[in-house]
Amino acid sequence: MAIPHPREVQMAVVQWLDERYPFTKAINEAMYQRVPNFANAFYYCFGGMVFVLIVLQLVTGILLAIYYVPDARGNPAAAYTSVLFIQNSVYLGWLIRGVHFWGANILIIMVLLHMARVYWTGSYRAPRELNWMVGVIMLLLVLVLALSGYLLPWDTKAYFATEVTIKIAGSAPPAFLGAFIKQVLQGGPVVGPPTLQIFFTAHVFLLPALIVLLMYVHFRFIRAHGIAEPM
Amino acid sequence: MADAATPRSTRRTFLGWGMAIIITSLTVSGILPILVFLWPPPPKGQTKGPLTIALDTPIDQLSDGQAVKFTAPASPNSAFIMADGGGDNAPGDLAFGGFVVMNQGKVQVLAINCSHLGCSVALNEGAKSFDCPCHGSRFHIDGTVLRGPAAYPLSHLTWKQGQDASTIEVDGLTLGF
Amino acid sequence: MSEEDLGKEGPGALSAPREIPLVEVDSHAGHTLEPEWKRLPIGPDSILYPVLVGIALFPMLMGDAGHHLADDMPDDETHPFFPDHFWPYPVIIMTMMVILGLFAWFVQKNLQLEQSADPRAVTIPRPDWYFLFLFQFIKLGPELLMSIIIPTIAFIGLLVWPFIDAVGGPRAARRLGWKRWPVPGRNIYTGTGFVVFLAIIALLELWALAGPNFCLPWFTGSVCGA
Repeated sequence: MAIPHPREVQMAVVQWLDERYPFTKAINEAMYQRVPNFANAFYYCFGGMVFVLIVLQLVTGILLAIYYVPDARGNPAAAYTSVLFIQNSVYLGWLIRGVHFWGANILIIMVLLHMARVYWTGSYRAPRELNWMVGVIMLLLVLVLALSGYLLPWDTKAYFATEVTIKIAGSAPPAFLGAFIKQVLQGGPVVGPPTLQIFFTAHVFLLPALIVLLMYVHFRFIRAHGIAEPM
Repeated sequence: MADAATPRSTRRTFLGWGMAIIITSLTVSGILPILVFLWPPPPKGQTKGPLTIALDTPIDQLSDGQAVKFTAPASPNSAFIMADGGGDNAPGDLAFGGFVVMNQGKVQVLAINCSHLGCSVALNEGAKSFDCPCHGSRFHIDGTVLRGPAAYPLSHLTWKQGQDASTIEVDGLTLGF
Repeated sequence: MSEEDLGKEGPGALSAPREIPLVEVDSHAGHTLEPEWKRLPIGPDSILYPVLVGIALFPMLMGDAGHHLADDMPDDETHPFFPDHFWPYPVIIMTMMVILGLFAWFVQKNLQLEQSADPRAVTIPRPDWYFLFLFQFIKLGPELLMSIIIPTIAFIGLLVWPFIDAVGGPRAARRLGWKRWPVPGRNIYTGTGFVVFLAIIALLELWALAGPNFCLPWFTGSVCGA
């Protein structure tokens, strides 16, 4: 039997898939969408860069979670020593943690640039109001992610920055609501091990899940609306 | 079928190849550091050395065909290193327990792990055998197989007599966690 | 016509009838490729097709595109998403990864930890740069107003901004005698407002960055940086 050329094998696979799902058609539609020439301006790519950075944060975050220990008991706490371990002992730990750290900073800059662009060109106008609102909520989520991630190394500056944040959140009126918020965020009367557990859960499970969900909604809206006309 | 590689657009083909090369190099340069990161770094506080074990029954009081069970110290967390093995066990594998066996005047120290799938075998005093609770393997008191599914004898531990008859020193590993 | 003419290139070269590659399809309905003008430069027969499939999975997951502005535009004012619009992105991703790697390598100072958290330690708390302007803002007035009420109002205002703009804009335009209410980039009010807003944020940030020894007079007394 003659060995088939790889191209023929590929064509056979594509044909097999096409008989079960309009595969080629879907790819052609997805990839061959016409894009207006004005969308080539550099400031139209900030959103794409935010997406890339969030994916990078998810990947490096999952990797860091392999070695991170969310335990704040004792001094030095296991959380603190595990971050030192990542930074100093794990192979390329400095790289993964460094990319996560700087990626977070650049992510915030890119989110703000993207938002400024959308505002400046009036891209939030009808029919895109809902997508603007989804975006503003995601901005809030990104900031809360940055805030909760700041506590995780459990060093002195993280501890006191979080104490101030919780104090501010706890000053919300009426008094019983502020007290409730403070008690729930802190998980007790002071910032301590339960606080780290709560911030860790938010940073690792709750907020990433929410932001991925909202990103999906955001992109569905973009696909439905198309690129906004130039200002 | 005609030659399908008919040129369509040189610029786009160039872009396509350029992108394929960049995407491939991105994937490789992204995955390589991840694999390096995942490789566990050398453990701190992990040391090899003899572990001193106190036996429930001193060796000189063991009658022929009798065995006494012992376990690896929990503090610091340690395990024994097998000297030989077959099946699920291999030389260098770790065991968290073992038996000191008196067999026809000779003292042997066996690891607790069944050579089939690694369950801890139990001493059957009546039959003078080691029975595996998982799949029914049975070993003679000297470690040899009496009944399958195990195909290899129990592993030995490297040991020497301690200060008195009720202590032995077994080669092991302090795990460091 | 000689043999030489066949090998000639450029104008005057002989164009031999070229066989058009055909995908052999059997009777399955729907299994026809798009017309040539819509064909990708990388078709199902190309060695690069799996790469294309990988890239296409994302827009496919995002669902059908609606009626687009580009559909009503002449062809020379639009271009296909792939590869003409897509190609900068791999370059951007690569650049970004290289920049992040270099940052991680050379600027490890920012990642150094202080001592393990100790509630008894005495330090001046200072947030990261993206909250520093808020930190400074809080010092400028009564705590409840500055730390809760104004940020909340600002956030809600941002959230519903499209509606404020859609309702208030045309009214303002009518009063000004304008024909329509332009987008912020071309609007003296919303555009300037945005720049002023950014300038205030930047000034607060700089004020905080100037440090605790840099104090300016304020209505509530002298206020220093962080």
